[in-house]
Amino acid sequence: MEGNYYVCTGCGLLCDDIEVELEKDAVSKVYTACRVGVAHMKEGSREAVSQVDGKPAEEAAAIEKAAEILKNAKNPLIFGLGTSTNEAQKKAIELAKKLNATLDDTSSFCLGPVVEALLQEKFNTCTLDDVRHKGDVMIFWGADPSDSHPRHLSKFSYFPRGEQKQRGWEEERTAIAIDIRKSHTAKICGSNFFQIPPGGDTEFINALIDGVSGKLPKTSYKFPPKRLLELANILKGAKFGTIFMGLGLLYSLESLDPIIKLVEVLNEKAKGEFHLIPVVGHYNMRGFNENLFAETGYVNCVKFENGEAKHGPEYSTVEALKAKAVDAALIIGSDPLASLPRSIVKNLLDIPIISIDPCETLTSRKAKVYFSTAVTGVECGGSATRMDGVEVKFDPILEAKRPTDEEILTKIMEAL
Amino acid sequence: MDFGSFLAAPEIKVKIVTYRDIFQNKAMIEDRFGEEYKNTSALIKMDSADLKQMSVKKGDTVIVKNSFGNIVVKVEESGYETPHKGIAYMPNSPWSNMLVSDETNGTGVPKFKDIEATVTSAKGAKVTDLEF
Repeated sequence: MEGNYYVCTGCGLLCDDIEVELEKDAVSKVYTACRVGVAHMKEGSREAVSQVDGKPAEEAAAIEKAAEILKNAKNPLIFGLGTSTNEAQKKAIELAKKLNATLDDTSSFCLGPVVEALLQEKFNTCTLDDVRHKGDVMIFWGADPSDSHPRHLSKFSYFPRGEQKQRGWEEERTAIAIDIRKSHTAKICGSNFFQIPPGGDTEFINALIDGVSGKLPKTSYKFPPKRLLELANILKGAKFGTIFMGLGLLYSLESLDPIIKLVEVLNEKAKGEFHLIPVVGHYNMRGFNENLFAETGYVNCVKFENGEAKHGPEYSTVEALKAKAVDAALIIGSDPLASLPRSIVKNLLDIPIISIDPCETLTSRKAKVYFSTAVTGVECGGSATRMDGVEVKFDPILEAKRPTDEEILTKIMEAL
Repeated sequence: MDFGSFLAAPEIKVKIVTYRDIFQNKAMIEDRFGEEYKNTSALIKMDSADLKQMSVKKGDTVIVKNSFGNIVVKVEESGYETPHKGIAYMPNSPWSNMLVSDETNGTGVPKFKDIEATVTSAKGAKVTDLEF
């Protein structure tokens, strides 16, 4: 962007209209960003720290130790990368190939399957800018962007004026929430909140397909057919509809087939087009999925062997840790000791961990080797892929006092 | 009637669904080892009838346990208009992750949003510390 606008890398929206004020080489004020973005953009400016066995070490010594751990491992795991630039992710893929490593990111237990189906063109999708300019009906399904992506509704999907939506949400947009609880997003949707029981999504999808197809919609939990038909009518009248799919919906489905079918049926029965966008959490999870897909044809859960990628759930971080199949872990920008079930991730403590992260985390505290690295978008620039597939480039705000994760990965690779 | 209600310290069976919270997310970015993150993470939101049955009130601590873990967190009323007895909500955090099953049926996807546990009064015990 022109001028002094910066990109917030706090979540998958990659808001590109952020202004900041600096004081003593640190970000002191952040304008336009959400609460999470403000906290994120003030994170930078920390000093470089390298540690071996929990004690400060020269960076070169830490690199040497990290290389030694990876060289000695028969099946190292490389995990994380959802908060790394495309450039760092490509470097990690190269490193995984060189090491014959298992490579995975958080998407294997998150929205990866949806991004995979999207890249395989199994459903119709669009960009967030399309929604801002044209969207008239949007469904937040098992997603609560008011908490997870706070500017989703105000910058893109509901509140703003758009090229073809000059009267905005007051008259021209209808927001719908389908969820098991009245989330903050559901409150905004008012009477268009449809509360279903936990695990009731597949039935609700099938009933909705019946509703838009002129059949009587029925569910075993007796959701009022009249309300389902009201919803079906709103969807049928849409000119540019979008389903924003969150983890709540994904975790409730045994397969993606029902939701893919619903998008297909809506495209047949509605006035206009229907789309689906996964509400991706980390700022560059989709980037990782796309970069790995371009290289291997898979979005996550791979194990390299002599340059070829094997793929399957057994190469997911969760299954690899459960089966104790990996014997070292290089973790970049992620804190699995906090974010994975303790019943599974406890196995990580039995193998040497190398942690590369801007923050001290539960994982970095247990790491054999730790590198404190630059916050992307604050202390270093690069590029990332927004949740809707748009590539966003960004410049640093500050001069970094610490290396980037890409630089550390490059040095580890050179030391192998 | 639930047998637990006849016990001196009634134990309630719940299905816990996790969710995201903007204040908790902000607190994690600022300091994941800090008090604010603990206060916004180590909590369980329940139906007011469940609180009454356990004889606990908002802000009290409760023990949430199953075969995978045992944690002490603060309890709150959910405030949701629709009654949801037996369904509880926790922000997704290292505390909720202490209760998530290791059973994944080989899919690589743990049941983060589908946790079965029991809840009982912690009788003033302190909230579980974040450590490994």
